[in-house]
Amino acid sequence: MTAAGPPQPTLPPEAAVVEPRRRLHPLSPVLHGAKSIAVVVAALSWQTLSQVGLERFALVVAVIAVAVVIFSIFGWLTTGYQVVGRELRISDGVIWRRNRAIPLERLQAVELRRPLLAQLTGLAELRLEVIGGGKTEAPLAYLTVREAAALRQRLLALAGRTQAAAPPTDQPADAAPAAPTLERPLLRVKNRDLVVSQLLTPQAFFLPVGVAFVVLQFVMEGSWTFVGIASTVTAMAGVLLQPVRRVLQDWDFRLARDPEERLVVRYGLLETRSQVVPLNRVQAVGATWPLLWRGQGWLHLRLAVAGYAGEGGGDAKRSDRLLPVGEFDTARSLVWEVLPGVDLAALATSPPPKRARWLNPIALKSIGVGLTPEVLVTRWGLLTREMHLVPYARLQSVRVVQGPLQRMLGLATVYADTARGRSGQAKDRDLAEAYALAAELAVRARQARTNLKTPAQP
Amino acid sequence: MTVDALTPWPDTVEWRSVSPKLITVELIVRWSWTVIVVAGLCVGLVLQGHWLWQLGIALVVLNAIWRSFVTVRAVRAWGYAERDQDLLVRHGLLVRRLSIVPYARMQFVDVTAGPLERAFGLATVQLHTAAAASDAQIPGLPPAEASRLRDRLTTLGEDRAEGL
Repeated sequence: MTAAGPPQPTLPPEAAVVEPRRRLHPLSPVLHGAKSIAVVVAALSWQTLSQVGLERFALVVAVIAVAVVIFSIFGWLTTGYQVVGRELRISDGVIWRRNRAIPLERLQAVELRRPLLAQLTGLAELRLEVIGGGKTEAPLAYLTVREAAALRQRLLALAGRTQAAAPPTDQPADAAPAAPTLERPLLRVKNRDLVVSQLLTPQAFFLPVGVAFVVLQFVMEGSWTFVGIASTVTAMAGVLLQPVRRVLQDWDFRLARDPEERLVVRYGLLETRSQVVPLNRVQAVGATWPLLWRGQGWLHLRLAVAGYAGEGGGDAKRSDRLLPVGEFDTARSLVWEVLPGVDLAALATSPPPKRARWLNPIALKSIGVGLTPEVLVTRWGLLTREMHLVPYARLQSVRVVQGPLQRMLGLATVYADTARGRSGQAKDRDLAEAYALAAELAVRARQARTNLKTPAQP
Repeated sequence: MTVDALTPWPDTVEWRSVSPKLITVELIVRWSWTVIVVAGLCVGLVLQGHWLWQLGIALVVLNAIWRSFVTVRAVRAWGYAERDQDLLVRHGLLVRRLSIVPYARMQFVDVTAGPLERAFGLATVQLHTAAAASDAQIPGLPPAEASRLRDRLTTLGEDRAEGL
């Protein structure tokens, strides 16, 4: 819980228009209950199933599910949301009541998630990413798709408005239905490429070895029990989970620009997600060339948006894809769209001085840093090549750090911190160069910020 | 051109150092811990009488003496400077760090003072940005200077405040 509340600009004319507090969809508790079944089954594991028998197992699961549904019904009764002025207010909690006011200036991105069950019932979950929140703030689960899409349009319209040039309030109401038709599609990732790319991962290469090992073990022991097989399958699934998840999640990946020039990302097979990211909320872009994808010349791009913070479960759960897999030309045009003026093919970087070899014996050549008019480029990694682009306008702070070994060699590392994702890192630069770089970054960041500000106030 | 890692841009930036009283505070903390650990080791020595306990005590005391010298230098190494647009903070001896934090990026300012710091009339000012990695912390400031800095930072932050 951060105390980072900004000075709240109270807008009396808008605050006067109080709209009724709205509820989530009545089916929400049922869906929450159904979701918990999967969790309960996973928690009880196969071992328990074999011990207590199928009937009892089902009974326990059913009882827990019903309990969750009942609890969720109370939750549903107490949950409500309303838009007041430039704030979204959400109240929830059964025992501990909680009222949150989310200032929409701080809205970073809005995601509409539809898990399998929600797809079957025509519902969707709306997730707001707010800067300063440790986790995804206020997942509104569940709303009808139409409602969720309309609310999203409305919140984004409110969030994107500058205080100076505020259009009339009733504008978003008619903007919502018209929006989908005006989208300009940017790209669509072929599902075949996606599957092939995930087969070209270390986990997928491990699969034949794993299968052979398991079969061998069974042959040696000569026992084939249901529990044994089920456990093995589960274990194998654990290994394969990441590539399979990736395929399921990034299935049918589409990118588009909406009329307000925001980025719309849609993907997913079992759980579809559609995410709207205003371009000025992009903190950084990362590009990765995995070793096994070199043959195809593929790479993937990630988007760092502030707010996708404490979501657990590693990268499979996070929504930071810009391009799950693609060729260089695709990536190049995409980077041009997201960071206008940045050409992925024309990013020159310079390596650190020769004496940095003592600290990076193998990979010295692959490290580099470069300054373009718009972004700070950093590059590293020998086998898996990575590149990180940080727009100057998004820099939060600059640090120069010199460790003891670096001091002996007269080197220093410059960090360019952003609100989300890893910092841009210029490793092992000459000390004088490092300070010059830090000063230059500070100046460029300031210029970029003032440039950003001026067009907003014509 | 020679560059000293502790004082970058010596001719354009006016570095301020933190209060020397911070040395006293740090030494008191260090030696209280040393006394506690040594007392524990003495109990062991009395109960068991093995020479390893004596070695341990000697090592702890030697380490504390050594670290005391380091502390003196480390406190002198802390420095900060207010420029027009940003705050510079440098610190560290073994690992030397310099942070440049623009006022416009400031999210909030913390002023803290522990009981020992308060007894010596000191306070710590910490600047937070949206990036978790930023570290701009200035310990050992006299309360008047701490509140002056806080007020200045908040005014400048409000002046230049902008979204992310």
